[in-house]
Amino acid sequence: MDNYYVTIGLEVHCQLLTTTKMFCRCKTDYFGKAPNTLVCPVCLGLPGSLPVLNEQALRLAILTAQALNCRILPRVVFHRKNYFYPDLPKGYQISQYDLPIGVEGKIEFDFKGNREAVRIKRVHAEEDAGKLVHEGLNLPFGCSGVDFNRCGIPLVEIVTEPDLHSPEEARECLVMLRNVVRYIGVSDGNMEEGSLRCDANVSVSPSPEKMGTKVEVKNMNSFRSVFRALRYEVDRQVELLEKGESLYQETRHWDEARGITLSARGKEEAEDYRYFPDPDLLPITLEDSFLKEIKAAISELPLTRKERLMIEHELPENEANILVQDKTLADFFEEALKEFNQPRLLCNWMLTEVLKNLNEAGIDITESKVSPQQLAELLRMIDKGEISGTIAKGVLEEMFTTGLDAREIVSKKGISLISNEKELEKVVLEVVEKNPQSVADYLSGKEKALHFLIGQVMKETKGQANPEIVKDILLKKLASEE
Amino acid sequence: MERKVSLAEIKTIAKLSKLSFSEQELANFSEDVNSVISHFEKLNRLDLQGVSPTSHISWGQPPLNPDEAVVWENRDWVLEQAPEVCGRLIVVPKIVEK
Repeated sequence: MDNYYVTIGLEVHCQLLTTTKMFCRCKTDYFGKAPNTLVCPVCLGLPGSLPVLNEQALRLAILTAQALNCRILPRVVFHRKNYFYPDLPKGYQISQYDLPIGVEGKIEFDFKGNREAVRIKRVHAEEDAGKLVHEGLNLPFGCSGVDFNRCGIPLVEIVTEPDLHSPEEARECLVMLRNVVRYIGVSDGNMEEGSLRCDANVSVSPSPEKMGTKVEVKNMNSFRSVFRALRYEVDRQVELLEKGESLYQETRHWDEARGITLSARGKEEAEDYRYFPDPDLLPITLEDSFLKEIKAAISELPLTRKERLMIEHELPENEANILVQDKTLADFFEEALKEFNQPRLLCNWMLTEVLKNLNEAGIDITESKVSPQQLAELLRMIDKGEISGTIAKGVLEEMFTTGLDAREIVSKKGISLISNEKELEKVVLEVVEKNPQSVADYLSGKEKALHFLIGQVMKETKGQANPEIVKDILLKKLASEE
Repeated sequence: MERKVSLAEIKTIAKLSKLSFSEQELANFSEDVNSVISHFEKLNRLDLQGVSPTSHISWGQPPLNPDEAVVWENRDWVLEQAPEVCGRLIVVPKIVEK
């Protein structure tokens, strides 16, 4: 496999976060809605109806292209992409052809310690099709059901140049694309719910000078399936070439359950979309002032934010990377940091305890009952020695279920740190007596034994001892044993 | 110069449109389409060098919709027009073959 050059390009569709559809005023929140309730003559393609472009959809598509460093073309022209399918009532999809919103952009991401730049070929806007339901309640045999709620939902399509050279790199690129569209608020980028969809072009070649035969892979519904499908496809193509067989250009569908790609032959020859400019939609000339106004909304992008967190707060790259993957998580971190200025400690708590509690509840940070200020207060209490880290973990858990402040929980439960030296000395003495081996180990130079002994004291006091004081007393006691 | 549309092209277009015709119908289409095309061939007599193709006959900035929802009240009426429904789904012949 090492003797082959892998070339991958991505085609990503993102559902734009508008309230209404692209060319009519039906709502876009179709998820979980009864079929054919979010429809009107325009999105149903009824004769005589005329499309009118949604300004917000236009703005979000432009914003996407700008965030991906594209050159924005001065005129927006929509084309009809003609094909017949039951989920497309007009017989054509309104899309863009030779004049997309933006061209010649790039996206950067870090991969295996290197900064990679993948060129963006184009970013264009188009409408989604409806949904075909093949199985379900009482559908007559040999029939499908059509739901037009999704028909006309605004999408932005992002096409990369074939600059990717492994399934791993393709996945990283896709993750960054997802993060960018989330950061700028154009899409929620949720692959499982279909608001972000990805197709890929894959080819392998024995020589870097000559491109192999391009195969298009579709139907990948998660980041994991994109990676698996690409890896499968690369292996399949290499195997065929090794056997001396030739590849042909085709579309293949990823079968998640079987973990293989299957040829979707028969469809290609029918692919002749006969694009032409949609006479119902006048071209729009984009003024510089309009473009500038949109661009002003671009907030800090994930890669820049990661670098800033690493420089400003001295976070390690890995940790900074996890934080910025989710904008709301990084926002929470920076909000809490305002009231608890120990970035490393805060970051550790975020990435371990906070994430653990979120995962257990199956929610994301925006749904959390704990505010950044509340987390900061909890960490301040540890810092001041009012409670131990162990106790704080339990308190945080309770904060997540009740939404109460740390201080309230602590006082309600009567938790307090035992700082009374007399009381602690008694426990330390007991622990030392019970663990002669550890004491001997420590005295012979094994530092670890000290931690074990502190741990035993914490255990005896159910985490309520002030660990700093325990350490002092222990050290004094051990010094006297020498 | 007149361009003839071949029977093969007519068949391709019919296939793309998911329509089927008898041989006789296809032959008729061939004739009809050719007469339509030869009508438009007349336009080729004009010297259009330097004139960009006209895709729209109107200029100026088109109106844009505000991003505010309007509910269409007749949505149930659409289901009444469908030849067959199942619940609120419009029933069509299955075209996916695995």
